[in-house]
Amino acid sequence: MNNALTNKSAITNDCLIELGTEELPPKNLKSLSEDFAKLVSQALNDVGLPAASIEVYATPRRLGILMRNMQTQQADQVVEKRGPALQAAFDKEGNPSKAAQGFARGCGVEVTDLQQRETDKGAWLYFEKTEIGSSLAQILPEVVATAIHKLPIAKKMRWGDQAFEFVRPVKWLVMMIGSSVVEGEVLGVRSGNQSQGHRFHAPGPMTFSNASDYVACLANEGKVVASFDERKRSIREQIEQSAANLGGVAHIEEALLNEVTGLVEFPVAVCGTFDAEFLSIPVEALVMTMQDNQKYFALFDQQGALLPNFITISNIDSKQPEMVAKGNERVIRPRFADARFFFEQDQKQPLSQRSELLDKVVFQNKLGSVGDKSRRIAKLAVSIAKQMGADEVQVERAAQLCKCDLMTEMVGEFPKLQGLMGRYYAEFDHEPKAVSDAVEQHYWPKFSGDQLPSNDVAQCVALADRLDSLVGIFGIGQKPSGVKDPFALRRAALSVVRILIEKDLPLNLMPLINKAFEALSDKFEAGSVADDVSDYIFDRLRAYYQEQGIGFDIVDAVISTKPEILNDCDQRVQAVNQFQKNDAALALAAANKRIANILKKQGVDKGLTKSSVTINERLFEATAEKQLFQQLVGLQGKVDSLFVEGEYLQGLNELASLRPVVDQFFDEVMVMVEDPAVKANRLALLSRLLSCFRQVADFSKIQS
Amino acid sequence: MNDTLTPNTVVTDLGTFQGLIQTLQSYWAEQGCVVMQPLDMEVGAGTFHPATFLRAIGPEPWRAAYVQPSRRPTDGRYGENPNRLQHYFQFQVLLKPSPDNFQELYLGSLERLGFDTLVHDVRFVEDNWESPTLGAWGLGWEIWLNGMEVSQFTYFQQVGGLECRPVSGEITYGIERLAMYMQGVDSIYDLVWSRSEQGEITYGDIYHQNEVEQSTYNFELADTDALFHWFDVCETECQKLIEKKLALPGYEQVMKASHAFNLLDARHAISVTERQRFILRVRTLSRGVAQCYYESREALAFPLMKNSLLPKATSDATAMEVDSE
Repeated sequence: MNNALTNKSAITNDCLIELGTEELPPKNLKSLSEDFAKLVSQALNDVGLPAASIEVYATPRRLGILMRNMQTQQADQVVEKRGPALQAAFDKEGNPSKAAQGFARGCGVEVTDLQQRETDKGAWLYFEKTEIGSSLAQILPEVVATAIHKLPIAKKMRWGDQAFEFVRPVKWLVMMIGSSVVEGEVLGVRSGNQSQGHRFHAPGPMTFSNASDYVACLANEGKVVASFDERKRSIREQIEQSAANLGGVAHIEEALLNEVTGLVEFPVAVCGTFDAEFLSIPVEALVMTMQDNQKYFALFDQQGALLPNFITISNIDSKQPEMVAKGNERVIRPRFADARFFFEQDQKQPLSQRSELLDKVVFQNKLGSVGDKSRRIAKLAVSIAKQMGADEVQVERAAQLCKCDLMTEMVGEFPKLQGLMGRYYAEFDHEPKAVSDAVEQHYWPKFSGDQLPSNDVAQCVALADRLDSLVGIFGIGQKPSGVKDPFALRRAALSVVRILIEKDLPLNLMPLINKAFEALSDKFEAGSVADDVSDYIFDRLRAYYQEQGIGFDIVDAVISTKPEILNDCDQRVQAVNQFQKNDAALALAAANKRIANILKKQGVDKGLTKSSVTINERLFEATAEKQLFQQLVGLQGKVDSLFVEGEYLQGLNELASLRPVVDQFFDEVMVMVEDPAVKANRLALLSRLLSCFRQVADFSKIQS
Repeated sequence: MNDTLTPNTVVTDLGTFQGLIQTLQSYWAEQGCVVMQPLDMEVGAGTFHPATFLRAIGPEPWRAAYVQPSRRPTDGRYGENPNRLQHYFQFQVLLKPSPDNFQELYLGSLERLGFDTLVHDVRFVEDNWESPTLGAWGLGWEIWLNGMEVSQFTYFQQVGGLECRPVSGEITYGIERLAMYMQGVDSIYDLVWSRSEQGEITYGDIYHQNEVEQSTYNFELADTDALFHWFDVCETECQKLIEKKLALPGYEQVMKASHAFNLLDARHAISVTERQRFILRVRTLSRGVAQCYYESREALAFPLMKNSLLPKATSDATAMEVDSE
C-alpha cells in the first residue's frame, strides 16, 4: 500500500526539452512532435510530476516541449507491508518465529524494526518505511530516452558510425529546468542549454538562460518561429496578403500548407511570375506542377481563372528576394514548356486513334492488354446501358475512349491526370459531351468521399470497369488479402456500392457479375468466382454503413437474407435502422431470436418460406396462438404489399403492432409439447411470423 | 624540390563548366577526399562507380570525389530538349563514415561556388533514395536552390543487400543544372565549357552531335536480340566470377548487364511485367558481388582500417551483417 505524504516541496518550474536534428520529413513533423510531447508529459504525469500546461514546438530542425509550472519533486511515499499475525510471529517467550524472521528479511530489516499493530481483524506485524520522492531532474533523462525509443517512426536511419536510429541524425539536446541543465544523454548527444538558431540567419550555438525564454530566444536571437501553428498561420497570412497584392485569390490546400510549414523555420513568401502563354495548358496540369513538384501556391482571379503567378515560401529573409523569385521562375519555365509541348503533341492525333496502342500495354499478364480490357468494358457497359435505358451508342463510344489517354504524352508525364486529359482531348475531338465527361468520370470516385459519375453514360462505364477488374482479378486467384490489394479492388468494390446506392440504380448485381465473367470466360474457370465477387461487394457494405453510424449487426441482418439489388438493400438497411427507434423493435428482435433458436433446434430453419408452411387453424388450443395467427394473417397482405413497394419502414411499423400478441404467445403457449401435430403446427406459425420479418432482414441478428 | 617553382596560378573561372568541376574537386580534396577519375564504363549514375558502390561496403573509412559521366538512354531527346540528355555528368562525393558536419560541408561547397546563403534560398527537402537494381536504399534530401533541385544527399542504409556499418554519406551534384544557374543560360547546350585565348567552347560544341547520334542509336538502332543475349552473357559471367571470388570483374558484369537493360528499356523491348524480372536478376547479381567484395576485403584484413579513427574493437563489432531478406 502506498500513501502519498503531504507535499513537502510543491515547487514548480518550467521544464524544456529540445531535440535538435537534421531536417525532419515535413509531412509527419507535426504529429511527430505531438507524439513526443505526449509520451514525455504522460510519463512524467504518471510518476506524479504533472505540468500546468504543455507547449509543443516543431520546426524542420527541432522538436521542442515546454512544460510550464511543472512539479519538480515527487512527493515522498509511505510504503507499508503487512506480515504474519502476532500470534504466529512470536513464541511464548517472545522469540520471533521463522515466519517473522522471514518477513523481516524480505523487507531488509531486523524483526525489532517491525511494528506491531492492532486492527479490526486482529494484531499483525507491520513493516513501514518512507520512500523519498525523486526529483524531476533525476527522472527526466530516462523519460526522454524512453519516449524517443517509443516514438512511432515508419522509417528510421543510422548515421556515421553510430548504432542509434532516428528519423534523421540527431545534433543536440537541451534539457533544462528553469535555468539549470538536466544532465543526460540521448541518441549519442549529451544534454546542455545550447541549441542552434536558423541555419543561415543565426549559425553557431545559441544558449538559453532559462527554459521559459525558449520561444522568445529562438525568435529574437535565432530567427526561428518555433511553433508549428504560428508558422502555419503566418504562412497563410503572407500568402493571402501576397495574393491580394496581385489581385488574386490563392488556392491553399491544407496538406500543402502543412508540408510547407514543415519545410521552413522562418517563412517568407516570395511571388513569382510565369509566361501567360502557358495558360493554354490545362489548369489542372499547371496547378499540379506548381503544387506537387515545386510546393508553390497557385493563384486565381475573382472569376476563377488561373493567374500567371505563383507564391513560394522561402526559408530566409533574403537580402535580394528578387534573386529567389527569379530562381524559382527559372525552374517552373522548363517544366511548363515540357507540359505545353506534350499537350500540343497529343492534339495532333485524335484520342480514338490511340486505342490500337492500348493492345501493347499489359493490364495484367493473364487478363490481357488494356485494349482487351477496354473491349470488355464496352460490351459490359452496353449491357448495363440497356437495363438503365442509357444511350447505348454513347456508352460504347465512351468505353472505347476511356483508357486512350493512357497513351498520351501528358498522362505519361502526369499520371495523376488520367481521365481528365482524356476529357480535354475528347472535347477537342468534338465528341458528344456525355462521352467526353464519361471519359473523365469513369474513374470516379477516385478516393474515399469523392464525387460520383454524374451522368448515366459515365455510370455505365464506371460500373463496367470496376466489375471487369473485380471478376478478372478474383478469377486469376489474386483477390485482396489482408493489406495486400495491388489492384485497389477494395476501392473498386466500394465504388460499385456507392454508384448503385447513391445514384439509385435498381440493378441486380449477380447478372452483371455473370456478364462480366462471360467476357473473361476464356481466361479462367468459373468456379465460385461470381459468388466470391458478389460476397466481396456486399462485404463492403459494413464499412460503408459504419461511416453513416449504422452498426454491423443491422447490415448483417439485411445481407443474410441475400438481397440482390444494392439499392433495395440500402432501403432495407435504412428502414431497419429507423425501426430500431420504435419501442417494439427490441422486443421483436428478441422474439425473432427466440423463434430462430427454436426452429434451428427443430431443424426447420432451412428452406423457410411462407408457402412451405401450412398452418391448420383447428389444431390451435390456446387463445394466444389463435390471436397471434389471426393478427398475423390480418396484417400479412398489407405488409407484403408494402414490402414489395419498398416501403420497408412502414411495413415494419405495421408488424410492430404484433408485439403484444407475440409476448402473450411466449407467456402462455408451450411450443415443445408431446402431441407432434400440435407442436408442428405451432412451429409452422412461428416460421410464418419469422419469414414475414425476413422479407426485410433477419432480425435475430440484431444486437440488443 | 625546386624552390623557384612558382605556385600553380591557374585561375578557376566559375563562369565555365570546367571551372565548376575544378572548384568542386579542389574543395572536396581539402575535405580529405581522394579525387578519383570517372569510371571507364557506361553507368546510369555516379553511385555505380566502385568508389561508391563497393567502397560503401564494410568497415573501412573512405572519402572520394569525382565526376562521373552518366548514361540514361531513355532520357535522350535527339539534342532538341534544352534540359534533357541521355549522356550528362554527375559530381559525386562519398564520405564514410558520414561526418557530423556533413550538411555544413555541403553548404560550404555551395559558398565556394559563389552562392550566398543569405541571398539564395537553400533547403533540404525530404527525398528517400532506393535503387532496386543495386539492392540499396538510404534516407536524405534533395537540395533545393531557389526551388531548383541541384543535389541529392543520402545516408546509405543498405548497399547490395548489406547493412552499411558505418553509414556512408553520399552527395550527388547535378552539375549541368548548377552551371546553367551560375551562367544564367536556359539550355544545357549554351553552357560555356571553357573560355580562353583560343576562344569559347560550349557544351553544345562538344556534345550536341553526340546527343543526336546516340539518341538515334538508343531509340532506333540498338540490336535488341543482341542486347538480350548480352544481358544473359553478363549474368553468366558475373555468376562465374562470384564463384571464383573475383568481386571487381564480377561487378563490371553487373554494370554491363544494367546498361544493356537500360538500352532495352529505351527500345521498349521489355514489358511491364518482364521489367520487374530483369530488375530482380540484376539485383541478385549486385547482392552476390557485394557479399563477395566484403569477404575479399575481410580476407585482406580490411586494409584501409589503418586510417580509421575508430578504436579497433569498435570496428570489429561493426562488421557487416548479411541481410536476411
